[in-house]
Amino acid sequence: MIYSILTLFDIILILTMLWLAWCLLNTEDIFKAVVLFISFGLLMALAWVRMRAPDVALAEAALGAGLTGPLFLSALRRMNRTRKGERRLDSDENREKEHKANQEQG
Amino acid sequence: MSWMHTIFALILLPAIATGMFRILRGPTAADRMMTAQLFGTCGVAILLLLSTGMGNPVLLDIALVFALLAALATITFVRRTWHGSNKRNHGNPL
Amino acid sequence: MAATKETMEILYNCGTLFIILGLPFFLSGTVGLIRFPDIYTRLHALTKADNVGLGCIVCGLALQSGSWAVTAKLLLIWLLVLVASSASCHLIARSAMQKNIEPWTRS
Repeated sequence: MIYSILTLFDIILILTMLWLAWCLLNTEDIFKAVVLFISFGLLMALAWVRMRAPDVALAEAALGAGLTGPLFLSALRRMNRTRKGERRLDSDENREKEHKANQEQG
Repeated sequence: MSWMHTIFALILLPAIATGMFRILRGPTAADRMMTAQLFGTCGVAILLLLSTGMGNPVLLDIALVFALLAALATITFVRRTWHGSNKRNHGNPL
Repeated sequence: MAATKETMEILYNCGTLFIILGLPFFLSGTVGLIRFPDIYTRLHALTKADNVGLGCIVCGLALQSGSWAVTAKLLLIWLLVLVASSASCHLIARSAMQKNIEPWTRS
């Protein structure tokens, strides 16, 4: 009785994780991918528990969900900043090009 | 080993799986992060039920780690990622 | 203190009742997260319903556990989840207010 229930639990868990992984690899938005990765880490800890490896589940919960999530979010902010900086650099370069073009014309 | 608790854990698992729609659809970034928080709370409940269901008291420690680190991602998100574009309330402490 | 067998059985059944009481809170929290129209109502559904559901489940498991150490650990877990989710709920709501996200009104 209990083993059939646990098997059903495993099947639902595996299907959810596969769907999650597919969405994670398929998405274009980086932030959405980060959130999906955090959720995947939480479900992965559950999967380790079901594989009777509670120690690995402990490490997965601490590292996968607890540390890499904030790390990725911090890196995302840094990325957005540099992207804005690049844009500003681009506009400056464009302005310099326009300036040079005006000088050549003048 | 108790089959009743395993059934309860099995009932809670679709609650996590349906939460995924909000990650995929969510209009703002905070909606997506809230779903990660839902995953944390539901994961703690499933681990507590499974620890009785599988007869393994070690799972309580994993639930403790889940509960400790669940807030970390959300707080980092609010302080680092989501904040910053609007500097209107900059005099607000914290 | 040695509890008699009848007392243990009553405690076990009360615990089962509490767990069954806690499950609909979780399910309604998820339904609220899916169905509610804006960010504040979704925060409300998620934070309150899930924490009450977890409280009921912790209460039921503590009644069934029959040892003080496990009960203390379960209460510690619930307390941590309460602190974590209320803090993050407050942060998200205040940040959304600062970003001028309008609350949903029936119109």
